[in-house]
Amino acid sequence: MIALWRRRQKDLELDEELEAHIRMAIEERVARGEPREDAEHAARRELGNLGVVKEVTREMWGGGWLERLVQDVRYGARTLRRSPAFTIVALSTLALGIGATTAMFTVVHAVLLRPLPYPRSDRLMLLAYDYPNNAFITEGGISDRQWVDSRSRFRTFARVAAMTPGLVTLTNAGDPVRLQAATVAAGLFETLGITPALGRTFGPDDERIGGEPVVILGDALWRERFGADSNVVGRPITLDGVHHTVVGVMPRRFAYPLAARLWRPMRIQLAPNRFQIMSVVGRLRDGATRAQAVAELDALAAAERTRDSMIARVTPLKDTVVGDVTRSLLVFAGGVALVLLIACANVANLLLMRATTRQREMAVRAALGAGRRRLIRQLVTESALLWVGAGIAGAGVALIGVRALLALAPPGRIPRHGEIGVDGAALAFALGVSLVTGLIFGLVPAIRATRSSVRDVLAATARTLTGRDGRLRGALVMAEIALALVLLTGAGLMVQSFVRLRRVELGFRPAGLALLTVDLPAATYRSTAAMQATHQAVLDRLGKIRGVESASAVNFVPLGGAMIRGDFKADGRTIPPSYLVAKPSVAPGYFRTMGIGLRLGRDFTARDVASSPGVAIVSQSVARQVWPGTNPIGQRISNKDVPGPGDWLTVVGVVDDVGQTSIDTHREPAIYLPIQQLTQTFFLEHMSFVVRTASDPAVLLPAMRRALRDVDPDQPIGSIGTMESAISATVAEPLFQARLIAAFSVVALVLAAIGIYGVVAYSVAERTHEIGIRVALGAGHANVVGMVLRRLLVLLVPGVALGVIGALAATRVLSSLLFETRPNDPVTFVGVAALLAIVAIVAGLVPARRASRVDPLVALRVG
Amino acid sequence: MARQERGLTRIELLQGTLDLIILQTLRWGPRHGYGIAQMIRASSRDMLQVDTGSLYPALHRLEKGGAIAAEWETSENRQRVRVYRLTAGGRKQLAAERSRWEQLSEAMAGILGAPIPEADA
Repeated sequence: MIALWRRRQKDLELDEELEAHIRMAIEERVARGEPREDAEHAARRELGNLGVVKEVTREMWGGGWLERLVQDVRYGARTLRRSPAFTIVALSTLALGIGATTAMFTVVHAVLLRPLPYPRSDRLMLLAYDYPNNAFITEGGISDRQWVDSRSRFRTFARVAAMTPGLVTLTNAGDPVRLQAATVAAGLFETLGITPALGRTFGPDDERIGGEPVVILGDALWRERFGADSNVVGRPITLDGVHHTVVGVMPRRFAYPLAARLWRPMRIQLAPNRFQIMSVVGRLRDGATRAQAVAELDALAAAERTRDSMIARVTPLKDTVVGDVTRSLLVFAGGVALVLLIACANVANLLLMRATTRQREMAVRAALGAGRRRLIRQLVTESALLWVGAGIAGAGVALIGVRALLALAPPGRIPRHGEIGVDGAALAFALGVSLVTGLIFGLVPAIRATRSSVRDVLAATARTLTGRDGRLRGALVMAEIALALVLLTGAGLMVQSFVRLRRVELGFRPAGLALLTVDLPAATYRSTAAMQATHQAVLDRLGKIRGVESASAVNFVPLGGAMIRGDFKADGRTIPPSYLVAKPSVAPGYFRTMGIGLRLGRDFTARDVASSPGVAIVSQSVARQVWPGTNPIGQRISNKDVPGPGDWLTVVGVVDDVGQTSIDTHREPAIYLPIQQLTQTFFLEHMSFVVRTASDPAVLLPAMRRALRDVDPDQPIGSIGTMESAISATVAEPLFQARLIAAFSVVALVLAAIGIYGVVAYSVAERTHEIGIRVALGAGHANVVGMVLRRLLVLLVPGVALGVIGALAATRVLSSLLFETRPNDPVTFVGVAALLAIVAIVAGLVPARRASRVDPLVALRVG
Repeated sequence: MARQERGLTRIELLQGTLDLIILQTLRWGPRHGYGIAQMIRASSRDMLQVDTGSLYPALHRLEKGGAIAAEWETSENRQRVRVYRLTAGGRKQLAAERSRWEQLSEAMAGILGAPIPEADA
């Protein structure tokens, strides 16, 4: 501090010394008889640029690195202030690039890089078996039977705990609400290393069948619904109509598995011919390895005699939490890094142009005795200042960017959502990125600017100096074009894939449909009859809403995220065991309401009830598979493995196939049953009511809510909305990906266009003299424009070629994100290259046209 | 523009020459910057016009190096001026640079003295 204060003193003294010099010079000139005004002018001119003289003199003082740094920073800040247009353009370009990169880094860091928020979380594994031969088990796990048999036998794990996620209805605590919940084995929290904020965790006693129903609340639920009451432990709450006692509250931000908001103890009742697949998490014992764990699981499986082959799998818990989002996050991170590179190239270009115009200043400073290294350091400090300023602004951009990213991302799709925030690591990243890029992209222009000797610059005119820099600038723009093309190609592929996804024929007409989904708790509605009565009451009310053309219901709606799938028997036919079909159950009028074509036979009617003969409707591909060339109407099928006389269902109709599971899998075979003939409450609990109208279905939603409330005021709505928005939600992720990449590529395109414009405009300004001569010698406008554009083509053609090569390499990583679009799709490549070429030519045309209007007289005089 | 013309017409000083000239000038006694500039011009019969801009960086560099020392004094017309004087170290440096210059000019004279029809200006 004292050093800096002394420096300030010396600054003032230097001012005084130079002022005294000028005063003396003036006085002497006046004494010689010059007019005072002329004398002042001459004396000042003699001393030259006072600022530069002072600058160079100060440099002679030397001093510590801090003093010199302060001096360089001051000098840099001053020069940046003197050219606000340059500074603003460079700052905002960089801030955008750094901000976007930091926002992406923040998400990637929180989701992929940071360990899970559990103690020694790298020792946590998910245990599972895959059943490659069993078509029913699509996702691996551990069956309830295996869990009961082997939970105390693991030697490689210090602790293990099973869990299954699910939904429950909470009533008598504000509005009825459906909540994400989990059923967990005693010891889950201990395995993870989490202690409750209030109360206790589950013990072995809580797993006893017939024990008192207990529940542990999540922090958010405790705050929202129970006013963060510290006496909540011991209070009764109602879940699915059953009283549960609160025994504990979890700490803030704990939500596992998925986004569980409350936990109940697992109470396993094994039954023959039925099993449930669960997730099991374990903490590896100290010294045990993952390979040993796999070996142990394999050994346990071998001991169990089942006809299915089982393949053990032990996965780090973090990988299972992060899951398949890794690839798209990395793709985005790559995209955003390209944007940053383009932004840096642009600013480096600006710096190079500026350096050329400042060569004279540099030469003068060198002539006054400033060393070259000193000049380079100052220029680098200046650009570092620019980059650090942009880094700080970029952190602000990142703050907004992260929020925007999370807001735009489809809900529930980004894991560890609650852990994401712009933190110290993100700020350090922003600063680090800006410093590194600032040094690299600032150093080259600085070296260039100070390279020419004094004599060169003072003797030569600016025009002849720029050849080498022109080539470097050209190379930078070429790189920008190539990078922008890579991004644009990625965006083009994603957009095309999305468009194809939306064009998929679903087999039903989503327009004009509204959807209301409820989950009737089996605990309150104890019988199928009670549930069916409720469904009928809701259907009756929905049908009476004004504007409703038809109303029906289905237990698992197409694209609803869940579907019952299974095998079946056909009378007199054999069906391959791997042939599984969707098995939705529907109310009468379902096909008409959904707009699914009825090809043969009839729909279900109100007369297909429990007491009447069992009936079924099959989709066309089932009919083709089982009864090729035969009329399937009147044929008999059964869902029982060994059908008794009463288990046969008569096929009464054939309908079109429908895309059941998701929009990107093909339309599937299905067997429909009437909901009035179902005999298990399990198939009736989850029900979606569909309503068709000729007008806007969104208008019907309030009346649909009222209809449900009239029937059962305690029944929460699972979800409600138009069918179109429900389908949009299923394609929300590809849409988000396409939008994000498109946004990046638009920024890249704009930056590249600015870069192209800058280089062409600068080369036109450089060649004004030459152009003037050409015009004077009779070159027409077209000639001049053509000449300028030829220079552009020299950059554009290799830039595009490089970009295509880069894109071919880069888009391969996209292939898993694309739907029916090849990563080397020629249409996209050609289209994108054409788009880029057009933008480049337009960006170059503006200065080219200006060049063609050069007035030869003015141009020659300037030269 | 004005700068450039002046730069082209004056005789450019060899690197390090300015230091020698300043030290030599200060041998005649302490002087302020303006005085040094005047004296150089006068004693070189106006042939050498020291760029005032480069004078001050050189003075401060020499001061930093310990060859000269500076003090604030009040001039005859009651102005505060910064006056430079030669230090003992400066005298040594002057002697050293002087002999180096003499060697150089002897060498140059040898080269230039050789009979060459016409030297390019």
